[in-house]
Amino acid sequence: MKHIIKFSKSFLPAVIISLVLIISGIVGYVVYGGFNLGVDFQAGLIQEIQFAPTALKLTYTGKGVAGISMDKNKLEIVISGSDVEKKTYSYPYASYQNLGSLADAMAGIEGLSVELVAGRDVATNTLVQSAQGNPRLGSVPYGIHYVTPEAEPVSIADVRKALTSLGSVSVQNLGQPKDRKFLIRIEDKGNEADFAKVTAERISTALTNAFGEGQVAISRTDYVGARFSKHLTEQAGLLLFLTMLLILVYVSFRFQFHYAAGAVLAILHDALIMVAFIVWTRMEFNTTTIAAILTILGYSINDTIVIFDRIRETLKLYPDSSFEDNMNRAITETLSRTFITTITTMFAVFSLFLFTTGTMKDFALALLVGMTSGTYSTIFIASAVVLFWEKRVKKNKVKAAVAANASLKKA
Amino acid sequence: MSKRYRFFIILATVAIAFAFLYPTLRWYFMVPKEDQTLALGSREQIKSYANRKAQVDIKELKELAKSGGDVPERLTFLIKIAKENYKLAKLPAPKKWDARAVLSAFAGEKEALDAIESKYREEILALKDLHSSAVQLGLDLSGGMSVVIQANLDSLKERLGRDLTDADKEDALNRALEVLNSRIDKFGLTEPVIRRQGNDQIYVEIPGAADPERINSIIMGKGRLAFHIVDDEATTAFRTYYSQHPSDTFDGEGKLINPSVIPADTVVRGLYNKDKYGLDTFVDYIVIKKEVGLDGNHIKNALVDRDQITGRPEVTFLLDTEGGDLFYKLTSANVGKSLAIVLDDKVKSYARIQEPIRDSVRLTGFGADEANNIALILRTAALPVDLEVVNQQAIGASLGEDTIRQGLNALLGGIAAVMIFMLLYYKGAGINAMIAQILNLFLMFSVLSAFNLTLTLPSIAGFILTIGMAVDANVIIFERIKEELRLGKSRKAAIDAGFDKAFWAIMDSNITTFIAALFLSQLGTGPIQGFAVSLAIGVISSVFTALFVSRLIFDFGTDVLKQKSVSISWRIK
Repeated sequence: MKHIIKFSKSFLPAVIISLVLIISGIVGYVVYGGFNLGVDFQAGLIQEIQFAPTALKLTYTGKGVAGISMDKNKLEIVISGSDVEKKTYSYPYASYQNLGSLADAMAGIEGLSVELVAGRDVATNTLVQSAQGNPRLGSVPYGIHYVTPEAEPVSIADVRKALTSLGSVSVQNLGQPKDRKFLIRIEDKGNEADFAKVTAERISTALTNAFGEGQVAISRTDYVGARFSKHLTEQAGLLLFLTMLLILVYVSFRFQFHYAAGAVLAILHDALIMVAFIVWTRMEFNTTTIAAILTILGYSINDTIVIFDRIRETLKLYPDSSFEDNMNRAITETLSRTFITTITTMFAVFSLFLFTTGTMKDFALALLVGMTSGTYSTIFIASAVVLFWEKRVKKNKVKAAVAANASLKKA
Repeated sequence: MSKRYRFFIILATVAIAFAFLYPTLRWYFMVPKEDQTLALGSREQIKSYANRKAQVDIKELKELAKSGGDVPERLTFLIKIAKENYKLAKLPAPKKWDARAVLSAFAGEKEALDAIESKYREEILALKDLHSSAVQLGLDLSGGMSVVIQANLDSLKERLGRDLTDADKEDALNRALEVLNSRIDKFGLTEPVIRRQGNDQIYVEIPGAADPERINSIIMGKGRLAFHIVDDEATTAFRTYYSQHPSDTFDGEGKLINPSVIPADTVVRGLYNKDKYGLDTFVDYIVIKKEVGLDGNHIKNALVDRDQITGRPEVTFLLDTEGGDLFYKLTSANVGKSLAIVLDDKVKSYARIQEPIRDSVRLTGFGADEANNIALILRTAALPVDLEVVNQQAIGASLGEDTIRQGLNALLGGIAAVMIFMLLYYKGAGINAMIAQILNLFLMFSVLSAFNLTLTLPSIAGFILTIGMAVDANVIIFERIKEELRLGKSRKAAIDAGFDKAFWAIMDSNITTFIAALFLSQLGTGPIQGFAVSLAIGVISSVFTALFVSRLIFDFGTDVLKQKSVSISWRIK
């Protein structure tokens, strides 16, 4: 038989450490004055921009409808409509390596005129598409941008300076300095109609004034109105509460109430540890972060139930051992499963962390922290609560028995 | 349950899953890009494409008939219809099915045109159906734009001066939807998605490309309704001209190439009816006076009634005093002409003016559904709802490409890491877990396809996490089997005991996770929902693969391959 590890000895120190961590989270929350709220929770506009000069301008005056789509390897122009032959013109960058050859090839499409803005020798694999402007080509010139790897990095101070006229604007660097990508955030105070449209135009004008015409490509715009974010916060809180309630009911039904209390306290613990982590790292708090917390609830409860199931079984198998010994035995016997599951899940999450960027990376990081906490809380928090309860009940029973004896004697 | 029976259940599940996944595979890998582009267009755009294409074909066919030529390859489907027509008319079939013989099988040019047109239209509509039964890519993967619009019911309440009933709110939102739907233009690469969200919100999405101008043109303003006098002669003249010049009447932007075909004080507008799906369908072109006859804001209310004698539905609308005077002047001057109800740029209905009318107008001559529609449209003018944008997203197409690549890499990396670990740690049983996980992934994607869910980066993340967590069921079972083996049990006994003892641990833990996932999926429409849905699907399919599939593989080893030992660990032989 395996050696049984005395987990219950470390319950008290574990609870103290957890309390300290959770309290530090609350302190951090007060010190920083709340979360670093993402756009989901704070009404406003977010734009991801990249400093990329215009390479080409396209205009279409043909009879059909011309659309443009681009990805990392090719540029495609799709002409559709009845009288023109529907056709996709595909220009892989591998065959059209520089802008000159691409422009010459595209000029062959009937009705399409190409104006070369940058030099002919610009490599085509540096082309990017802006998320602004109409990708259906028409008489208004449509600009395609490019980013040269040699271009001077744009300093964040210059971007801030360019945008000072817009009031309080937050600017962040994205990726490497050579990518020249920035995240711009402006809060919507709710005193302006049509905020999203007006502000997007103002940003565009301010950047044009400071850096010249057609220098900036926009890769993403998000706008969240005040009503929307308020709704989301209320909904998230309510759902969190309901989830815990239902888990409490189900676990009480399958086990006993104090097991359910232990399980719910353990997942609440995980949520608070993650909150502490998010507060101290100043990670952005958005819907994705909430998703991470809720995921960990699911993950941690899974872990906890497996151990509870084992405790239930050992109690039946060894009715003569004390509850504490049975609990230690159950935790020890499921320990290899706990480790292996944690490792495999961590592999998966780590892969997510490694390959993604932006909010998904944050999500994966929060999950890694939450999973560690989830595994730990299963052993040290959920079980500690159950043990504490069992001991107290036993003590009460003994007391009651003593009291009953005493009253018998009196009579 | 017998093993054979279980095997068939698994086979059937895989077959059904494949059937669900097939439309997705076909749409993304087998349909050419041009056809995708066409199929993503609006129904109206498809119809006008089919029509114009058919016009060109019929012209060619007529010329061929004159010169005695054969039916071109792409129109050979007409021969079959022609044969049927001959049979129906009990005429002897001609010896040779050339262009002349085929054309003469149709009662007139219009019938032949309709036959060709519906062929083209059905081809594209079939593709459109295929697309809607395939997995959709979320905006974060495909790039594009979305807007959430909130109907401002407070301002409506103020205007009405009373509290809104549920019916009022319903009506208000339906009117707002009507206005937005009527603005879906026939241009652009993809058809916008417009749907209700909750009680007072509307979600508008244009996938594929971020196109702020186009989305603004859909959501801006309240919808302008007006009455215009129809120019009947010009309408007839224009329709004749259009049938002769089907392909070069309008340019790519929908403007007239030769503006002189209609009088200078008129414009061409499309007349639209609702089809049975509630979508605007193009009926014909109508030439109306540019000048507004009466602005819609004079309408006080509009109701659907039934004629007391004939029982046919009719729409009655009331005008305010000033509107009544204007309307009386307008109708007296134009008795015998037609009056068109125009919402934004579309003619919704038109009727002949029988006599001068003042403030209570009765419109007759249509079915119950159409009457309701027209009343709804008229009320949009009477009670406009203010719409405000509460959430807007625009994602560049290249960012979407990046995101797809990131998601795929993470998915492949995650699966590879998990599988290599399982193989190294559990040896032979690791292969068992691997098969279960691959099947798991396959089932998850097919459920996504079956329920028409949208694939987003968070849902890919959900899959990755599910793979990591789904292995848990395998691990619980394998660890149990190992314990039983350590007790000295035989292969069969250890496997049976392992599965039995693990059963409730797996069920209980997964049911609780499922509860959490289910609640998560109720949160908004954004990233959390996609993530939670894939997590919930993953929980169910991983229980299936772990308890059902993995068990069968073990049993197969015991019964068919006559294995005596279990390859499950490096220590236990």
